[in-house]
Amino acid sequence: MNPKDAHQPVPEFDETAQDALMDAFIEAIIVMDENGRIERFNQAAVDMFGMTAEEAIGGDVSALMPEPDHGKHAGYIDRYLSTRKPHIIGIGREVTARKKDGTLFPVHLAVGEVGWQGTVRFIGMIRDLTDDKLAEERRLRQHTDMITASRLTTMGEMAAAMAHEINQPLAAIANYASAAERLLEAGPENIDDVQSALARIKAQSHRAGDIIRKLRSFVRPDSASLIAADLKATIEEISALAELDARANNISLKIEIAEHMPGIVADGLQIQQVILNLLRNGIDAMIDTEPANRSLELHGYVSGADEVRIDVIDQGHGISDDVAANLFTPFYTTKPGGMGMGLAISQTIVKSHGGTLGFENNPGGGTTFYVTLPTKVT
Amino acid sequence: MSDQHQSVYIVDDDSAVRDSLSMLLKSVGIRSRAFASGDEFLEDFDPTWAGCILLDIRMPGVSGMEVQRRLKEQDCSLPIIFITGHGDIPMAVEAMHLGASDFVQKPFHDQELLDRIQLALNENREQQDEIALKRSAKERYATLTPRETEVMNAVVLGHANKVIAMDLSLSQRTVEIHRARVMEKMRVRSLADLVKLSVLLFS
Repeated sequence: MNPKDAHQPVPEFDETAQDALMDAFIEAIIVMDENGRIERFNQAAVDMFGMTAEEAIGGDVSALMPEPDHGKHAGYIDRYLSTRKPHIIGIGREVTARKKDGTLFPVHLAVGEVGWQGTVRFIGMIRDLTDDKLAEERRLRQHTDMITASRLTTMGEMAAAMAHEINQPLAAIANYASAAERLLEAGPENIDDVQSALARIKAQSHRAGDIIRKLRSFVRPDSASLIAADLKATIEEISALAELDARANNISLKIEIAEHMPGIVADGLQIQQVILNLLRNGIDAMIDTEPANRSLELHGYVSGADEVRIDVIDQGHGISDDVAANLFTPFYTTKPGGMGMGLAISQTIVKSHGGTLGFENNPGGGTTFYVTLPTKVT
Repeated sequence: MSDQHQSVYIVDDDSAVRDSLSMLLKSVGIRSRAFASGDEFLEDFDPTWAGCILLDIRMPGVSGMEVQRRLKEQDCSLPIIFITGHGDIPMAVEAMHLGASDFVQKPFHDQELLDRIQLALNENREQQDEIALKRSAKERYATLTPRETEVMNAVVLGHANKVIAMDLSLSQRTVEIHRARVMEKMRVRSLADLVKLSVLLFS
């Protein structure tokens, strides 16, 4: 090294140098003050959130988070400052972030505390996990597809399969009947053929009856499948599936189930179908909702002495009185291509468990569907 | 004109649907043959068959759409009527785009179904007649001598005898004789009929 170079005056590491340093990070770097106000927003953050540094700086960091974190973020910081008990600060974790246009995406967030001359700042380092998540989702979807196919057939699919099954004997009956009619018109010499057509009509109507009986037993828990079930575990088993659906529709899904819930006696598979059906309805109801407002929540809690309750809360279009009047009527649907069986079957299942299935429109918009289940065998 | 008897080829996995369709068709004097799967049908399929195919769109194993695709590969011209159930309409529409003649929804309205089958059979008969006509026209065309062939090809392009005579370096009289022989061998009375036949031949 040329000794002369070593004596070159080193430029001061000023603000522009700091910006250059921050922009060199591949991760998004956000510096905020102790109130969560953004002070710095590097180039990667600009790219990631789709907003300029000017737009971001001075604003509240909670703008980059979806509900429910959005409203609670100030509380998170206060809690940390008073308790010093880290949740995210000092530890990295996966959270959902929100772009300027409302698109939700998964990120890994690590927050560090910067103490400097008596001031406190926080520095957030954010890595976009969309690509990682996509690969993981593909794996998960393949896995859950298998589960869905083998045991978690959703109600719409089940109803469509049943309709197909019942259609076969009905089609056959219609054909035999019109053949018989034509044979009789042609003359009395065909009476043997007519008789055989009638016998086949009888057999096919029995076949249709058998299919209906099967359908009934499908929605009525048989005593063998009634087992003591843990509601939390039952719902958690399907949460990954629901999560995928929600994220595919840009919806943030929050599942909150109280600890130490009393056990229920239930056909877990049927309860899963009911819950999944309610969650899917909630997702469908929010198709026209602003992406930023799309949130779906599931709360499980103890609602009475011998009763637990699950609320599924959407921010959709609510339910009009007209629709409400027919909501549980079989084959009534407001969805294009819908079968109109989901809620009808769900209600039958819940009732046969001794519970109730109902709904109420939320004061602030959207609908809450609730299921109550007894915690003791009746 | 076609010598092949027309049949309705029923492909459906449900035995009661097959049996009842056969009985319905028999009651109005239409022959049918039934197959329990797409595979069974494709195995037996013979390109000389005449009639139409009544094909269930939703079957275990080879699907109705797949049967349609494979038949197309074999240049099968039998009209296909798809049998569809609840929720199969988008599939049926796609099948129509791929050349299916029609579709009917299960359960069937008997008259509607029979009308559609009749239309498909008529469509097939016209195809069969055209095929037969084409075959016989080809046979007659093959009997022409090379010179007669040249004359015919020029005549149907609308060339006058004089022009043909010059082009082929023949006398006008010779062209007239060849021309008369062509009309006789092709069994047509007028130039218009000869043109029609040539359109069929080269289509």
